[in-house]
Amino acid sequence: MKTALRARLGLGFILLCYATATWWVLTRSSPLVRERPVTIRIAHWQIEAGPPDGLDAVIRRYEELNPRVKVEQQLVPGVVYKQWLRSNLAGGTGADIIEWGPWIEGVRDVPARYFEPVTAALAEPNPYNRGTPLANVPWQQTFKDGLAGQRFDSPDPGEIFGVTLTEVSVRLFCNRELLREITGATRVPQTFGDLRKIFAQLDAYNLRSGRPPVMALAGARDNNEWLLQYLLMDTTLGLNFSLDDPGALALANRQLLAAYLEGRWRWSRPEVKAGLELMREIARHMKPGFQQLSRDEATREFLHGDALFIFTGTWDATSLRRLASFNIDALRFPQPTPDDPVVGRYLIGRFADGGGVTAMAMHLNKASPHRAEALDFMRFMTSVEGAQLFTDRSGWLPATTNVRIAPEIESFTSPQDGYALCNPYVIIGSNVTLQYTRHMHLYLGEHGDVDRFTAVLDEAMPTAVRADLQSELRSLEQTIRSQDGRTLALARLGGAPAAQRRAVMEGGQTISEGLALQMRAQLEKFRLER
Amino acid sequence: MLSLPLFRHALRGAGLLLALPALAAEPTLDPVWRDISESRSHLALLQAERAAKSGSRAALLARAAATLDDQPVTDERLRATEAQLADLARGDDELAAQAAYLQARIWQTHLSQPDYARAAGLFRALAERQPQSRWAQLGLVKLGLLHLYALPEPGDPEARHAAAEALLARLTEPALQRDLHLQLGLAGIFHCRPLGEVLEHLLAADRIGGVPGIAGEDLIVQLGELSLRAGQYAQARRYFDRYLDEYPTSGRCFTIRARLRELAAREAAAGGRQP
Repeated sequence: MKTALRARLGLGFILLCYATATWWVLTRSSPLVRERPVTIRIAHWQIEAGPPDGLDAVIRRYEELNPRVKVEQQLVPGVVYKQWLRSNLAGGTGADIIEWGPWIEGVRDVPARYFEPVTAALAEPNPYNRGTPLANVPWQQTFKDGLAGQRFDSPDPGEIFGVTLTEVSVRLFCNRELLREITGATRVPQTFGDLRKIFAQLDAYNLRSGRPPVMALAGARDNNEWLLQYLLMDTTLGLNFSLDDPGALALANRQLLAAYLEGRWRWSRPEVKAGLELMREIARHMKPGFQQLSRDEATREFLHGDALFIFTGTWDATSLRRLASFNIDALRFPQPTPDDPVVGRYLIGRFADGGGVTAMAMHLNKASPHRAEALDFMRFMTSVEGAQLFTDRSGWLPATTNVRIAPEIESFTSPQDGYALCNPYVIIGSNVTLQYTRHMHLYLGEHGDVDRFTAVLDEAMPTAVRADLQSELRSLEQTIRSQDGRTLALARLGGAPAAQRRAVMEGGQTISEGLALQMRAQLEKFRLER
Repeated sequence: MLSLPLFRHALRGAGLLLALPALAAEPTLDPVWRDISESRSHLALLQAERAAKSGSRAALLARAAATLDDQPVTDERLRATEAQLADLARGDDELAAQAAYLQARIWQTHLSQPDYARAAGLFRALAERQPQSRWAQLGLVKLGLLHLYALPEPGDPEARHAAAEALLARLTEPALQRDLHLQLGLAGIFHCRPLGEVLEHLLAADRIGGVPGIAGEDLIVQLGELSLRAGQYAQARRYFDRYLDEYPTSGRCFTIRARLRELAAREAAAGGRQP
């Protein structure tokens, strides 16, 4: 009897403990989980002077407003960013917020695989804009370009994956004191013809100065590539218009790749060669062997006063200004005019040198264990307050409207005074870029020849172009496949928010499929013709 | 030694202990669908497999949907999923339509070698069985794409477009009509169909409205530009003006203003006067 009673009591005690534990977990732990401190990481490659300071200021303020959340910057050098991105995302160790850009070779599939669209959040006002003129404006419309670049480059036509922090443009940065020393004045070049005159004056200066020669432009592989993209945008505008069958007055890389397969353009076309000739002319005023140098070397050359100009993006402006011992002017690169002897006949007008598209796009990692907190930080950093902190401390333009711009960076903004139907022919695909880089010595070297270079490129490019179009197709199909289950899931969940997401996803998926089927047909046609 | 009565008590207690989590568990599949909708396929599949033990059709459908995107995605797993969906598609309810749609999609887009003819057959069959089902109609839009680009027959563009256009009359939902009109217009450009025909479809898509993302912005520009190319100047002006109004900060505005100047010159030339 006693034993039986003890046993019952024991069992009862066990059951009571279990019931208590269950009650505790169900009612007490979830608020505790929500209140636990959280650390989120934001990763980017903008390790030049400026952005890390800007983001630090944003983070400090955010942490004041949200003491539970700690934010860490992960600064990843650009040379390893691609590898870092792929390995960490595949291994599930990626940061919560990650910078990505469509021009990074070999990782165009990343958004569809690893990033969460933020489209729904962008349709609502940003709560961090309360008390500002943007209080009731949908978050997407608080960006200067309405996130045009993110929409254009989205792997999924209906969705937006990234939010941007800045606006960039390319500029010809000038050593003002050295310009005066060389030309006797600080009058900056307005046209390419003016630039040629300065090249001639520099040659004369080098003869009389007795110092080691000053180059006109600081030279490096990257700076050369940016300048060539710029020059080709000018000479190929007419070509771009002729390739714009859909009439969207914009061309995606896949259209250029397909047009190449169809034989509608070649590197040996006169307008492409004209841009290359102009690049060759400018390259004669860069340090010999610059193709082997990195952009840091070009920056050093400019800061040492060994080059009068450096052509680079405004992303280098803060570094240049902080490190230079002289005054620097940020000039719009003087575009060739219709009377230019090399390229004039191919020009149809000014082209946009700023693009009008915001940049430094940050994306939400699907696998982040703290997506809500990460999204909240993305809202803050792109709010009026966050963007003001960023621009004030970084010296970079803000992407958000209604933010004061410091006078010293007003020249970085680009008015809408040029055609934007421009394409960076050199980086329309990673294999195309590889072929260009591999052979560029054929036209830039001392015995360089544009005809020989373009003939070699046109021999190598069909295979490269096809590979890049296949890569675009794979990336698009990856997006399409992932949407079938998600569309059904949203339908099964029901409710207005799910229905809205589903409507966008279905419409976007059909658009993507149309494009994918076109690419398949183009690849098939080219295969048959070969 | 444990006595028999005590053993019985222990069993009852254990049963209660085991039952409590089940009693506390959420009874619906919403967590599974949520995980699928947010691309957490593997997590969704683990939950769906537990739920599927009950044999409920909804749980089996959830499991199939979660499998589609659960790595590693292999043809073997997809074919097994396709067979499960084929079973679920035997019926005339919404779930059967969803299963039939997904089944066709596996053949169309998920297998490493698509079988467009098979997918087309499944979409047609679904539309015959449940013509009013939204999934059947969405399937018709996908069938339209197959007609336009992928099915071997009919081979020539005119017949392809005719086959896809014939599906429009069977669509009752405006968003789906819009999507097929848009695809007919874009395919028309791809196949070099007459501009008038292309414009008709693009205009129809615009009238319905709601084209998502950048494609919606592109559509307005296209209607302006293609109208200009077709000599429909008033229409071109209307769309260019609308773009400048709706997207004032876009980089394309400069080009569109240039186009408007060109338009004015053409109108003047057509009217025999100076702009």
